Amino acid sequence: MAVEKDLKAILRNLKYSDDAKVLEQISEHTRQVHARMAGIKHKLVVMSGKGGVGKSMTTVNLALAFARQGAKVGLLDVDLNGPCVPRMLGLHGQSLTMRPEGAIPPVGPLGVKVASMDFFLEDAAPVRWKGPMDVSPVWLGLMEMNVIREFLADVVWGELDYLLVDLPPGAAADKPPVIAGFIPDLAGAIVVTTPSEVASDVVQKSVTYARDMGIKVMGMVENMSEYRCPSCGEVNELFEGNTEAMCEMLDLPLLGRIPFDRTLARTFDKGQPLLDDTYPTIQRYQDIAGRIRTLLDYKKVLADKL
Amino acid sequence: MKFVCLNCETYMNFEKVEKPGEDSLGVFFGCPSCNAKFSMVTNAGETQMVNSLGVKLGGRTVEAEPFEMTRGTLKAEATAGSGQMAAYLNEKIQGGQPAVAATTAAPAAKPGEKSGGGCPFSAMVAEMGLTSGGKPGDTETVTSDFTWSADAKEKLDRLPSFVKPMVQSSVEAFARKQGYKTITLQVMDDSKGESSNGITWTSDAEKRLENIPDFIRPMARKEVERVAKERGLATITAQVMDETKDKFMKFM
Repeated sequence: MAVEKDLKAILRNLKYSDDAKVLEQISEHTRQVHARMAGIKHKLVVMSGKGGVGKSMTTVNLALAFARQGAKVGLLDVDLNGPCVPRMLGLHGQSLTMRPEGAIPPVGPLGVKVASMDFFLEDAAPVRWKGPMDVSPVWLGLMEMNVIREFLADVVWGELDYLLVDLPPGAAADKPPVIAGFIPDLAGAIVVTTPSEVASDVVQKSVTYARDMGIKVMGMVENMSEYRCPSCGEVNELFEGNTEAMCEMLDLPLLGRIPFDRTLARTFDKGQPLLDDTYPTIQRYQDIAGRIRTLLDYKKVLADKL
Repeated sequence: MKFVCLNCETYMNFEKVEKPGEDSLGVFFGCPSCNAKFSMVTNAGETQMVNSLGVKLGGRTVEAEPFEMTRGTLKAEATAGSGQMAAYLNEKIQGGQPAVAATTAAPAAKPGEKSGGGCPFSAMVAEMGLTSGGKPGDTETVTSDFTWSADAKEKLDRLPSFVKPMVQSSVEAFARKQGYKTITLQVMDDSKGESSNGITWTSDAEKRLENIPDFIRPMARKEVERVAKERGLATITAQVMDETKDKFMKFM
């Protein structure tokens, strides 16, 4: 009978080498992401713990607002399973142009460059991966993270003032804050909520989790604050809640309130976004973009005005 | 993953990778001492797991193409039938009509103008117990040792349920400390001005803080209080404000 070997003792004397070159390639991935993002001045993620609060609508309108202020803007839609940014900007059906140096993103209204999973999908087709779905919990999360890594590493953004990243919905121990953690020199996260107590509760968790991950949460946008009925004209609050109080508790600035605006929403649904900067709801997005700029310049503001 | 040759007590070297089947990988290792060969064969799940890493075992011989993994792992057959689905959805949702111009999408009714019960949100608003101004129709009673003025109580009642106890407790702690018996809106506002670390602000300093845009004022307040704390001061004076300003001038 063979003598039992002491593996621990054997390993103590061995020097590990990465001869399959796995670690080397993973390090290279990180290097590529850093290199690709180097030309972008401010990287911001837009997140919320709760789905359906209007995160994509907010991201798209903030991108347009920055572009209207003369900035060069990119918009990365990393909601892999529900990408809607291209449709909202009238880019559905277009695709990334593959070149040896990387993927060239289509350019939308006001010069906003867009990358999205939607560009890889046929009309109304869901994202489906090759591989055994019965064991998908083993590999699916890893796969999605690496697809997102490719979006960060392979899109040729060029020089940008702002890159806005529309994260998928999800709260605490979920993907969004992890995705945000991939992005080098992330300026911060903008959190979108509705004034409903249910949304507030979940959003609060996502803020805490993002902070645990070391992500700077810059402020909150309250979406669907109120609604003007197109039939009777009456303005009502849609939810009973108080985002201001939540912001105070979380020590976050409330960046602005956006009403539920059916006219504006319809234009995005049809891929013909309303771009008129005199339109009241668009002006609110402009104000929020201005506040974000102030926050990014926070130290300068304090030095100037204190 | 590494393999150890127990006879030679050394790591086996990675040699090559082959694809014995559609959902399988054969990874070959060899012992550098005794030249023993060993092959690990992966099942479908393990193969997919390796693919999901976005790496080539053994390293790359050619540069990766953009979105190589995304394009290589999307299931092409998933798109089958999606054209018909899109046509169906277009027909059902848009009635096959081309999208209308943005500015004519929804004619807004004049404020106050009533129409024949077409408001899609009226029922929802009524269900939530809100009045037309969005104010709650009925609120919980504040349980407290203090007398809350009607407007202060209304402000408290409008807070989300999870925030309300904390705010109430904080305001009442402040009122107790100041010897107030009645909580008014002013007391609520003043309670916000008192920092949790007991630092007080002179009126001059408060006035200077108002130069900061209101949405970042709380952050600025914290920065100033941090400077005071570093210097062991309990009162924010104009001098502390100057020192904070100098601190931020260094970042310019």
